[in-house]
Amino acid sequence: MWKYVARRTVEMIPILIVISVLTFLFIHFIPGDPARLVAGKDATLEDVENVRHEMGLDKPILKQYVDYMKNLVTGELGTSLTTGLPVIDMFKTRFMPSLQLTFLSMFWATLMGLAIGVFSAINKNKWPDYFGMVTAVSGISIPGFWLGLLLIQLFSVQLGLFPTGGLDGFSSYILPSLTLGAGIMSMIARFTRSSMLETLQADYIRTGRAKGLKERSVIVTHALRNSLISVVTVAGLQFGFLLGGSVVVETVFSFPGMGRLLIDSIAFRDYPVIQSALLLFALEFILVNLAVDVLYTVLNPKIQLDS
Amino acid sequence: MNYVKKLVFVILCTFLLAACAEKDNSNASNTGDKSTTESGAASSKNELVIAVNENFISMDPHNTGDTNSNSVQETMLEGLLGFDADGQIIKVLADDYSISEDALVYTFKLKEGVTFHDGEPFNAEAVKANIERIMNDESLRLYSRGFSLISNVEILGDYEIKVTLKEPYGPMITRFGVAKMISPKMIKDNLADIPKKPVGTGPYKFVEWVQGDHLTIENFDGYWGGGERVSKITYKPVPENGSRVAMLKAGDAQVIYPVPSQNIDELSKSKDVEVNKVPSTIAHYVSLNTYKKPLNDIKVRQAFNYAVDKDAYIKVVNAGLGLPLDSIIPSKTVYYKQQKMYEHNIEKAKELLAEAGYPDGFDIEIWGNTNSDTMKGMQFIQQQLGQIGVKVEIKSMEEGTLSDEIYGAQTPDDAKLQMWYVSWSAYASDITNATKPLFHSVSFPPNGANTAYYNNTEADQLMDEANSISDVDRQAELYEKLQEIVYQDTPWIFLGVDEVVYGVRSNVSGVLVNPTGGLDVKNAKVE
Repeated sequence: MWKYVARRTVEMIPILIVISVLTFLFIHFIPGDPARLVAGKDATLEDVENVRHEMGLDKPILKQYVDYMKNLVTGELGTSLTTGLPVIDMFKTRFMPSLQLTFLSMFWATLMGLAIGVFSAINKNKWPDYFGMVTAVSGISIPGFWLGLLLIQLFSVQLGLFPTGGLDGFSSYILPSLTLGAGIMSMIARFTRSSMLETLQADYIRTGRAKGLKERSVIVTHALRNSLISVVTVAGLQFGFLLGGSVVVETVFSFPGMGRLLIDSIAFRDYPVIQSALLLFALEFILVNLAVDVLYTVLNPKIQLDS
Repeated sequence: MNYVKKLVFVILCTFLLAACAEKDNSNASNTGDKSTTESGAASSKNELVIAVNENFISMDPHNTGDTNSNSVQETMLEGLLGFDADGQIIKVLADDYSISEDALVYTFKLKEGVTFHDGEPFNAEAVKANIERIMNDESLRLYSRGFSLISNVEILGDYEIKVTLKEPYGPMITRFGVAKMISPKMIKDNLADIPKKPVGTGPYKFVEWVQGDHLTIENFDGYWGGGERVSKITYKPVPENGSRVAMLKAGDAQVIYPVPSQNIDELSKSKDVEVNKVPSTIAHYVSLNTYKKPLNDIKVRQAFNYAVDKDAYIKVVNAGLGLPLDSIIPSKTVYYKQQKMYEHNIEKAKELLAEAGYPDGFDIEIWGNTNSDTMKGMQFIQQQLGQIGVKVEIKSMEEGTLSDEIYGAQTPDDAKLQMWYVSWSAYASDITNATKPLFHSVSFPPNGANTAYYNNTEADQLMDEANSISDVDRQAELYEKLQEIVYQDTPWIFLGVDEVVYGVRSNVSGVLVNPTGGLDVKNAKVE
């Protein structure tokens, strides 16, 4: 397995290079002149040209890319065009809150999703199943934006249990993570349910039951274990999206994370920040995928990664 | 069961790992020397939490364009001059000043006994170091706006300094108000820290800034102006309107700015909260491309102005907040002169359109950004002009794209723009910036924001003369004439001037918002 992990890690390098070229070209070719945006509406052409020169945007694009890559290799992500601060400093304060938020969302979404899914499957077409699935469908259908505001109104304004936003200790993570995890929880619940239902029909389950295995052992050890493979795939994919996709939740809860930083940077065409943030998201996505593949073998040792 | 346990264990471990990592990370914030505080809501009575709608960009006072950053800087840093509640120039670190008749020499007498937060004395040397930094450091965006015109800075005494310009520049006095003083020691030894943790002479000193989350300042005991103040203020950027309102209601914030128009009624009813309104210098208008058909005909432009009901505009688009724009500048701008407004008259508009040769109207495009308020404004214009047979197509573009489309045109012939729904704001004391970039023929895009391609020699001359003298009576005369001429020429559909709205908890007093939208909490008190 370690050989496989090492190989996948090495393979990441060309993928990241390709991604860096694509994102670099993409952000430089979308309309919008950062120099103009930074200089402001009342700037004269001379102002704009000064800013452009100061930002190094008057250099040929290839030179800009080579400079960027040179810096990247030495761990230097450049300087933000809007704040003038090193990008790495901006990431330092933004990355960990986002990552933690994602992990917490994933954590409870997985637990709740699995519980609802299993419970629904073993109570198929009974009221607990209907209740579970209504919860799941609601989680997917309610927009995160609205759910967030609803939770703020209820738990912060009315009950005063959690902060309305910002980042001030663990309690600041609760409402945003519930909002962010709702959709994933629903998806995991639905996948677990259908996967469990399929597995429960399988011959080996019937054999197990015929041999007199306890129902609990049948459900948890045999059925759930085999259902988990597909659930892990879904969860892994969603996890990757969560990392970069928490923009809405971060905005609603004024959460100082990467999603909000990216959106702000796009509005200002802050190339160094956008470029590095996208590269970071890509790296995270690849790492999560690798983790999912490794998790397959943990769940089912018959899966041979090296093959 | 074993596998479920493993899965839970893996997730739990990674989360804990991340939690540990955050502990280290908290040290990565920009923390001031004496920082002992952490983020969070005000716990004691003598503290304030202020939620604003945007992130702070930079704390470098010589390189700041956004209002929010500027508001925070105002508490920590002071300039030779500053602005009063109406946005007009007042003396701050200057005891007195004079401007030569030819508007080239500015002489300042400085306040004595002022020290920076780091103990450095404020004197002519400190002012010289600041002015020279702005003049010479090419990375400062403020550089090109006024300070690049300075030819000489001369120290006349410990507390007297003379600044000479190469050519007259009307807004220079406002520039001196905007350019706040940084400790000379910081300029000499620690330039890189200026955008992160500035050191000034203001009533508050910097404590810490965690990007995107909060910025904290605390009372500076050695402040030259004395007085009692709130001991600690935490600013939080909260872009989402609903969240900001929730913070005020829950008491997580004592001040929010701005208050979204849809929440004004709801908040006004609460006994714990006060909602205040202030007329601003933010003017909304539709820029009409006077260079191209059919808008090159003054009758068409006048017809548009008669067709649009300004009162309805304020009610429908601005939730009743604001005043009609009855000149080319808002009423809070210096030298403002009210003009006779184009009253709402559909018949007259139709007549004018017929006289111009368009009895059945025509098709035209209006551009604007994707902001929901802009969309509402453009739809309003569409509906209003529809009444006189003009079919308006709305093209809304993301700000960057829009900016490219407008400023990408190198000559008036290249311009595809027909109408632009936009707003403009300048310092109340700076009429040059409220007129020259918008109406002077040298300001056609890409060189300025004269997107109406308005070209009138007389108007150009008025602006040029007013800009080159220091005689305020003569300036008033020239700007009055300018307002008359341009308003008559109707390069815009004149719409409205915003009122800015802010909310405070009832136990908070002394919070002000100036017409430019700057939040002033220097004299705030909590009961």
